[in-house]
Amino acid sequence: MGHSIPTIWESMQAKGYDRREFLRFCSFAAMMAGIETAGFSKVVHALETQARPPVVWLHFQECTCCSESFIRSSHPLVADVLLDSISLDYSETLQAAAGHQAEKSLHDTMQKFAGKYILLVEGSIPTHDGGVYCTIGGRTAEDILQEAAKDAAAVIAWGSCASHGCVQSAKPNPTGATPVHKLISKPVINVPGCPPIADVMTGVITHLLVLGSAPELDGLGRPKEFYSRRVHDTCYRRPYYDAGLFVESFDDEKARKGYCLYKMGCRGPVTYNACSVTKWNGATSYPIQSGHGCIGCSEAGFWDNGPLYQHLASFPGFGIESTADNVGALVGIAALGGMAVHAVSTNVRKHELLVQGKHSEPKAKE
Amino acid sequence: MATKAFVAQASQPEKFRRVYVWEFPVRLYHWVNALCVVVLCVTGYLIGRPLAITYSSEAYQQYWFGTVRFLHFVTAFVFFFNFLVRLYWGFVGNQYAKWSNFIPNHRAQWREMIEVMKVDVLQTRVQGLITLGHNALAGLIYFLSFLAFLFQSLTGFALYSSMSQARLPRLFAWITPLMGGDFAVRQWHHIFMWFFIWFTLVHVYLVFYHDYIEGRGTTSSMVGGWKFDSDKRDEK
Amino acid sequence: MANRIVVDPITRIEGHLRVEAVVENGVITDAYSAGTMVRGFEKILKGRDPRDAWAFTERACGVCTTVHALASVRCVEDALNITVPQNAELIRNLMFCTQYVQDHVVHFYHLHALDWVDVVSVLKADPKKTSALAESISSWPKSSPKYFAELQTRLKTFVESGQLGIFANGYWGHPAYKLPPEVNLLAVAHYLEALEWQKEIVKIHAIFGGKNPHPNYLVGGVPCSLNAEEVNAVNMERLNHVGSLIKQAKEFVEQVYIPDLMAIASFYKEWAGYGGGLKNYLAYGDLPTRGYGQPDYFKFARGAILDRNLNEVHPVNGRDAEEIKEYIAHSWYRYAGGDNLGLHPFEGETEFNFTGPNPPYEQLNVEGKYSWLKTPRWKEHPMEVGPLARLLVSYAAGRTDVKQVVNDALKQLNVPVDALFSTLGRTAARGLETLLVVHWMQGFYDDLIAQMKTGHTSTFTREKWEPSTWPASAEGVGLTEAPRGALAHWIRIKEGKIDNYQLVVPSTWNASPRDGNGQRSAYEASLIGTKMAHPDQPLEILRTIHSFDPCIACAVH
Ligand code: HEM
Ligand code: HEM
Ligand code: NFV
Ligand code: SF4
Ligand code: SF4
Ligand code: F3S
Ligand SMILES: [Mg+2]
Repeated sequence: MGHSIPTIWESMQAKGYDRREFLRFCSFAAMMAGIETAGFSKVVHALETQARPPVVWLHFQECTCCSESFIRSSHPLVADVLLDSISLDYSETLQAAAGHQAEKSLHDTMQKFAGKYILLVEGSIPTHDGGVYCTIGGRTAEDILQEAAKDAAAVIAWGSCASHGCVQSAKPNPTGATPVHKLISKPVINVPGCPPIADVMTGVITHLLVLGSAPELDGLGRPKEFYSRRVHDTCYRRPYYDAGLFVESFDDEKARKGYCLYKMGCRGPVTYNACSVTKWNGATSYPIQSGHGCIGCSEAGFWDNGPLYQHLASFPGFGIESTADNVGALVGIAALGGMAVHAVSTNVRKHELLVQGKHSEPKAKE
Repeated sequence: MATKAFVAQASQPEKFRRVYVWEFPVRLYHWVNALCVVVLCVTGYLIGRPLAITYSSEAYQQYWFGTVRFLHFVTAFVFFFNFLVRLYWGFVGNQYAKWSNFIPNHRAQWREMIEVMKVDVLQTRVQGLITLGHNALAGLIYFLSFLAFLFQSLTGFALYSSMSQARLPRLFAWITPLMGGDFAVRQWHHIFMWFFIWFTLVHVYLVFYHDYIEGRGTTSSMVGGWKFDSDKRDEK
Repeated sequence: MANRIVVDPITRIEGHLRVEAVVENGVITDAYSAGTMVRGFEKILKGRDPRDAWAFTERACGVCTTVHALASVRCVEDALNITVPQNAELIRNLMFCTQYVQDHVVHFYHLHALDWVDVVSVLKADPKKTSALAESISSWPKSSPKYFAELQTRLKTFVESGQLGIFANGYWGHPAYKLPPEVNLLAVAHYLEALEWQKEIVKIHAIFGGKNPHPNYLVGGVPCSLNAEEVNAVNMERLNHVGSLIKQAKEFVEQVYIPDLMAIASFYKEWAGYGGGLKNYLAYGDLPTRGYGQPDYFKFARGAILDRNLNEVHPVNGRDAEEIKEYIAHSWYRYAGGDNLGLHPFEGETEFNFTGPNPPYEQLNVEGKYSWLKTPRWKEHPMEVGPLARLLVSYAAGRTDVKQVVNDALKQLNVPVDALFSTLGRTAARGLETLLVVHWMQGFYDDLIAQMKTGHTSTFTREKWEPSTWPASAEGVGLTEAPRGALAHWIRIKEGKIDNYQLVVPSTWNASPRDGNGQRSAYEASLIGTKMAHPDQPLEILRTIHSFDPCIACAVH
């Protein structure tokens, strides 16, 4: 093939995959792209002859933290990913060119590799007021997304912004921030988290490229490989949870012993993510290990499930500290009061009936 | 509706006769259900707001929270199947157990509800109709509570689906994304607990109220199945 | 002949920045800086629990992650009169320093270097000469001829693949590139090494805050506990990890970053004459050594410099209604009291008012509103903030360690103090403060260990945690120095909820549109007078804009 960098096909051969498996991988890529069988051979050809699959990384409404997380990957190292595994043809965070030259890089890739490039999206897309809340090169985010998604072989939504809308979509969602999968008709691999774990991000990409198979997705488009367990299911503080040993306040005696953070509002029991297994920053720690509860950052709409330090969300319309329990107890007390009033009233109103035994005979139902 | 009540001959007060209203399956259902609901509310509340207990022992030495959850789940299964039995009995049971008692699809039932409101709740009228089975208002409330049972089972099993390999809970997994994630499901599951607490308070009060007002053994009817009815009613 | 050129997107920054520059005879005569993405944080925060605000605002930016969280917990603590335990302050300082070191190194190598380093010319370098050069400026071990030769081969293969990836369509061969191929090869080697190293230093965030980006903060202290008797807390193993990361950071900054910075700067001294822009500098100061309440003992001094007069440092007060105000004459917002007003952030308003042009558009309407950034002013003056402002204020305030580091560098490059007021000065200041910070960091670490030794382990104060202990209404301001400059959050709390929340961010100061009086902010001012070799290749614009290290998601929020 004349390339000194192995093509995907070559590196798969080297890893012992046969041609059938390679084709299965290609068929996945084609499936992701929604390409008909006729166009399918093109994808095979693309991956066979292209040293590194072209990748386009778009930024919309985001904080670039997903990119920052990505470059923290420890296995594989990002430098290796960038030099050896993919060809990152467009990335506003890293690319040398700016302005027209940057846009040219994008268009070159979209044209030359139509149906063959991988599209990564970081950030949500504002849909209110014609999309004026995010423009690049004078065009709206949605316009750019639609164009780039049209011929993409696969689309990955990085982080909670692109998967769920994240912080800017929290009430009242002033800009109409919308996740990718709601705007394009292709299947989208959602990799939520605010941000997602670096090694999960490179894990998803390399799963696609190296294993030659689609990561299996759940009903919400998340790779099961990383999102099928709750943080709580493998949390190392779980024994304290089962034993009923809970932190009652930050830095109290129980916190200092590392008890379970459930009562501090930990969202681990309702959050699907790999934190407690893969952990963060080269397996150094994860939120709970460092004393703060999980805030549920990979779950849709987690910003509106607050306050953070409360186990359940505030009851709408009842002030910040009101849990369902406070409201429930209040209504319960009101009901008891009502019953007391009713009991008194019964004895007064129905005094004759009761004491004087003046039963006029009841009417039959039928 | 034709009355198919049994008329007992013995121990019958002067003006009343005994009528067999609640068949055994209904009574069994009722008390199993009542017990389950109480256990589920208590354990559920503890799951939501665990006690602050002393911590003299190590985590491996105790498992009380796990036990509370275990109780919740075991009870949940009993609760669920018991509920299914009652649903079935609504088709084959006696007239007082039938679905027609619960779903107000006759104008007469709506009129009766207004009457019950006047007599029992607002007490703008001192006396009025007395029914053998449920009155129309009670029937509707029970119907709503059946819906709450259903909702609580759906949300409960949806939550349970992610921590269980069993087939039954897995059947409910689709509910979670539909409701917007585990957090939302849990929030609703928790909120609905309060419906059960309120229901139980008011329900038990009303049972005693009816017993007090009507003096015909409403309370014990759910134990033995019998209520008292007036002969004069039939004469009318 | 005047010609308006548009650079959008400005890349190798954070966020969505657009620059329109008027070029006459190859020289920039006017410039407009626009932020083109907004999310509405200040609207979203209303009505929420003040204790949660740090988590929201932290998401303003993942590049300067943590700094908004810090400003946020501080403004809430200021409002509620909370003093955090000394350990919490030390841990916050360590996280602050970690952020600086990581962010500045990544900025230098990954966001800024390609403005000065011609990657393609690397192929022409002689690895032996690169090795000799490397060894002459530093004792960094990775500098053998073999090392550079292998790297060169790797890059050659990369370039020959025809897929240039992030280097595609760069300005390679542009006459403004001045480095010899050998220096370029050295810089590219360190580009890759820095990429690998930066993921290590942030482990300090993971240890104290659970993860990076976006570690956890806490109103009233820090969430982690210090407990030398417990495997579940920050114990000796965790502290040792922090200690060795600090040591590594010191080595990297001293042996790689600073030598590279000096080597590259020495080839671009002419850039000490460009890009100065504004003459006013503002710093809130940070790194408390006797608590947040005593700014006189901050490592970075607080104050303002006007008209480059280093003999006078003006006091700065975030609460004073007459000092800091935000204007929107050229910003897509509306103020209830009229768009020419300036509002102190306690009274701040955030109401979108997009006035066009409707996308797709070619040029902004610079006569009217043209950016999502508001325009902050200090006593009506436009101010530059950032590493340069910080060093100048501390220098002028007579901080000896700052003075020494700055004077040493000026001597080494053989340039006068005035050279600092420039594009090159800004880039150099960033490196110099990184050097200061890694050393201070060691001090904070030692202090933390000393605290533990004497049995002082508290990291959180609980008195004001419950909203029931709060006054019915309160207001507070949290000041800090983000890597890009003076950052502050203002909060008004009413009945336990956020009544108003405003962020005025470093990049808001620098990148904002001009004010109603036509006074330009830092970006716009600094571009004027820049010569462009090829106006269709905006390399010179990138150099000056990048010297500020733009963060536009921050700036707009
Ligand atoms: C009357 C019926 C029930 C009541 C009142 C009830 C109440 C509760 C409450 C209050 C919680 C705590 C929620 C929170 O604050 O997070 C809970 C949790 C839960 N309930 Fe129920 N529940 C009922 C029935 C069921 C049923 C039928 C199931 C089916 C399996 C179920 C499964 C669960 C599960 C899985 C949890 C979460 C436990 C955990 O993650 O540790 N519940 N329930
Ligand atoms: C001391 C406790 C209780 C007593 C004495 C009691 C008694 C009764 C009586 C007498 C009836 C028949 C009412 C009528 O004539 O309309 C009834 C029906 C009912 N009760 Fe209770 N009850 C108790 C607790 C509960 C609890 C805790 C629940 C569960 C939430 C419950 C749920 C129901 C339901 C669903 C019905 C309708 C039965 C049917 O037709 O299937 N009860 N109860
Ligand atoms: N401007 C800005 Fe930031 C910083 N440094 C924060 O306050 O970058 Ni995202
Ligand atoms: S998901 Fe979170 S971390 Fe990623 S860009 Fe959005 S706000 Fe930043
Ligand atoms: S700390 Fe959170 S995730 Fe861990 S066991 Fe407790 S509740 Fe579950
Ligand atoms: S907050 Fe996010 S990082 Fe993991 S532990 Fe929770 S999902
Ligand atoms: Mg603001």
